Amino acid sequence: MEAVVGARSILAFALFSLLFLLSRSSAHQLNIVNAERRIDLTSHIVKVFLTLKVENVGTEPASEILLAFPPTQVNHLASVEALATTGKRKKKTYVPLIVTPTELPDGPNGTKYFTISLANPLNSGETTTVEVLYLLTHSLEPFPAEISQSESQLVFYKDGAMILSPYHIKQQTTFIKTPSTRVESFTMVEPTNRAGTELKYGPYEDHASYSFSPIIVHFENNNPFAVVEELVREVEISHWGSIQVREQYRLVHTGARHKGVFSRVEYQARPSHSGVSSFKHLLARLPPRVHSVYYRDEIGNISSSHLRTDSRKSELEIEPRYPLFGGWSATFVIGYGLPLQDFLFESPDGRRYLNFSFGCPLADTVVDKLTIKVVLPEGSKDPSAVVPFSVEQHLETKYSYLDVVGRTVVVLEKKNAIPVHNVPFQVYYTFKPIFMLAEPLMLASVIFLFFMACVAYLHIDLSIRK
Amino acid sequence: MFKVAVTLVVSAGLAVCCAMMAVLIALVASSPTKGWSGRSLSLLDPTYASKYIPIIASVSEHQPPTWPSYFMDINVLAFLVPAGIIACFSPLSDASSFVVLYIVTSVYFSGVMVRLMLVLAPAACILSGIALSQAFDVLARSIKFQLPGFPTNSEVDAGDSNPITVEAKNNAPKTDKTGEPSKDRPSRKNKKKGKEQAERPSVKGKPEKKRLLVLPMGASILALLLLVLLSAFYVVHSVWAAAEAYSAPSIVLTSYSHDGLHVFDDFREAYAWLSHNTDVDHKVASWWDYGYQTTAMANRTVIVDNNTWNNTHIATVGTAMSSPEKAAWEIFNSLDVKYVLVVFGGLVGYPSDDINKFLWMVRIGGGVFPHIKEPDYLRDGQYRIDSEATPTMLNCLMYKLSYYRFVETGGKGFDRVRQTEIGKKYFKLTHFEEVSIHNSPLDGSDIQAETSKKQDSGKVEEIKIKI
Repeated sequence: MEAVVGARSILAFALFSLLFLLSRSSAHQLNIVNAERRIDLTSHIVKVFLTLKVENVGTEPASEILLAFPPTQVNHLASVEALATTGKRKKKTYVPLIVTPTELPDGPNGTKYFTISLANPLNSGETTTVEVLYLLTHSLEPFPAEISQSESQLVFYKDGAMILSPYHIKQQTTFIKTPSTRVESFTMVEPTNRAGTELKYGPYEDHASYSFSPIIVHFENNNPFAVVEELVREVEISHWGSIQVREQYRLVHTGARHKGVFSRVEYQARPSHSGVSSFKHLLARLPPRVHSVYYRDEIGNISSSHLRTDSRKSELEIEPRYPLFGGWSATFVIGYGLPLQDFLFESPDGRRYLNFSFGCPLADTVVDKLTIKVVLPEGSKDPSAVVPFSVEQHLETKYSYLDVVGRTVVVLEKKNAIPVHNVPFQVYYTFKPIFMLAEPLMLASVIFLFFMACVAYLHIDLSIRK
Repeated sequence: MFKVAVTLVVSAGLAVCCAMMAVLIALVASSPTKGWSGRSLSLLDPTYASKYIPIIASVSEHQPPTWPSYFMDINVLAFLVPAGIIACFSPLSDASSFVVLYIVTSVYFSGVMVRLMLVLAPAACILSGIALSQAFDVLARSIKFQLPGFPTNSEVDAGDSNPITVEAKNNAPKTDKTGEPSKDRPSRKNKKKGKEQAERPSVKGKPEKKRLLVLPMGASILALLLLVLLSAFYVVHSVWAAAEAYSAPSIVLTSYSHDGLHVFDDFREAYAWLSHNTDVDHKVASWWDYGYQTTAMANRTVIVDNNTWNNTHIATVGTAMSSPEKAAWEIFNSLDVKYVLVVFGGLVGYPSDDINKFLWMVRIGGGVFPHIKEPDYLRDGQYRIDSEATPTMLNCLMYKLSYYRFVETGGKGFDRVRQTEIGKKYFKLTHFEEVSIHNSPLDGSDIQAETSKKQDSGKVEEIKIKI
């Protein structure tokens, strides 16, 4: 017995030490030979492309690469994607990799990490190239915070000149692209130079891991800072042939706040000079074959909208009642109907599923809080949602026309949704076709009973005496 | 016992009634106008309102109607009502005399106040119905009696025309009328065909026989068709009037141009802007026409609204609009107003804007605050805003808010509603600040809603809707 216990404890100890060693060594197993970072600041969603050439200098094969982010950036991180590139030049192929957030408590200064899982483990001495794309929202801070109608909007972007990484980086360069040539100021970390709309930081050689030197770029960005503070999308499935979608928006311009006079005269007379940071058009991309589109707010119908449809997509161009300047908000409701056969399918195991696109149909907007409610027809059972990224789910019940037990509603919530998240998701449920007869039978039986009652009343003799 | 109870109840009821009557009489006798409100008094004396209560006179529905408005509202009935009145006199019963009294009084009152056209409408419908039914009676009977194979008794009446009278059997005897009732019916059909006059002495028939009028066949068929056509036109007109004249929402203005329908949605745009971009407890001052709309759509507190029950309050706002900037700012400051809403139509030619209503602001304000004197704003008895305008007019708040930076839009400051160039073109607002102008673009001619904000440093903000 003791021998077994002893053997067990030794085995456990060995496992723990191995794991400990592995976890320790994995951080230092890899070296980044060359890192190139391109930061795209043209719209209010910041896009960062990282190209990392990773070499395994340790002895064990590595199957994971860690990405580090400063804690202020992690809160605004909307999506992280990674691709492995193989081949050279024209024959490059991209293999998507899984990225998961990880907790490493020993990171300095509260750094947060993401782990990229490689498809094939990287053997010792080999190198591989990984491309990472991550998107940041609410990262451009307007400064000055209030501008008048005739001024242009200037914003800060804060980051580090060097890529934050737990590995040793041999050579790294950062390129920052601004939307126009007007850059008020930028921090100089030698060697830095600027050409047109591109700022180049680097190349930096042989900096230790976790090195970070903060930079601030103050530049002009007049692209529309359209943020939807809250969006509730209700998708109602009706087995009689249509899907009704109703979306409630609360749209805010999150750029520099507007101060002073708003003069329409000036705004229309000189559009290139006045109100450059405001926006008045928004484009919503809807699926093809959309019908009965409406655009309203609390007062009533908003007449300024255009709908263009063709066989592959529909575009709804909406204009809120007034152009949105910094700090102004507008609320409205967009609704439309879609044919059922485009979206409802039957899965191989007999369940039905709805294939619909997640996310906000408005182009180039950030949604702070997105709620999608899928209302399943009455009599549906076992609902479950399959979404490619993490969302919060729960179920509700909704009572609508001719409902006895109520309709199940699958509620999906996501914070910080951006156009990248406009991918299809599925909601599975089981439904016996016999339940479709419930509603017509209910109506028919009510009418039948009513007529029977009338007939009975007319023919019953209730007089007390003849 | 039963009788005692009955007498007790009856006497108690009578006592209560008498007490209420006494209270009512005391109330009525103690009021200076003997219980009549201002609006009702202006019915009895049409000049009362314009002398004493200008706010009642300012409402356009309280003005006397024009003659064309009768035709617009009751159309064909305008011809049929006199015929109906005459028809009521033959025979004159209690019911028909009531109807005649009804129509006469309602015609008088609708002539005093155009809003009371509503009272005239049912009376006119009743009377024209009577006229039409009598006419159809005669014409159908004429056709029926002259159809081949119909047994008729013909006796000719002594009349001044060609028709043949027919005595119908088994008709209940009516009161007197032997020859006169038929005069008005053939008189209309006289012109249709000329026929020889047949005169025979009228024969007094037995009491149960009645002399009835029968017209020639062709005339009556034609008359029937024409009456039906008249009614059809009336229906068409009524549908059109309901659709165009009575259903137009004044909040959304439409205009038809060569490339379709243009919608001026400026009011709703301004109200939506107010509701989203101002604080919840900011108050908006405007003329009372926009009160309910602002409350409902912009969801903000207003100073005066369409209820117009507080004349002094409206007079305060009117005084503020007619005073120079500093005095107006003090009034608005005392009312805790943050935004002033002004509607201006000079850019595109919208005639119902605040400058056109300005004379009522002066009159109503002057009715309560004697320092606003209407002659100060008039030049030769007219309100002018061009270079001939009085200095009081050029300095008042309404002028300044409406025409602030108006020259920058067109170049010369030509007001399309008043059809003149404005008098004072370049000036600054000292106590007010223009916050936003709302208009919908239509080839450069715009409806503008200016919103001006009041700042803590002492400026009132102004919202202007320029249409």
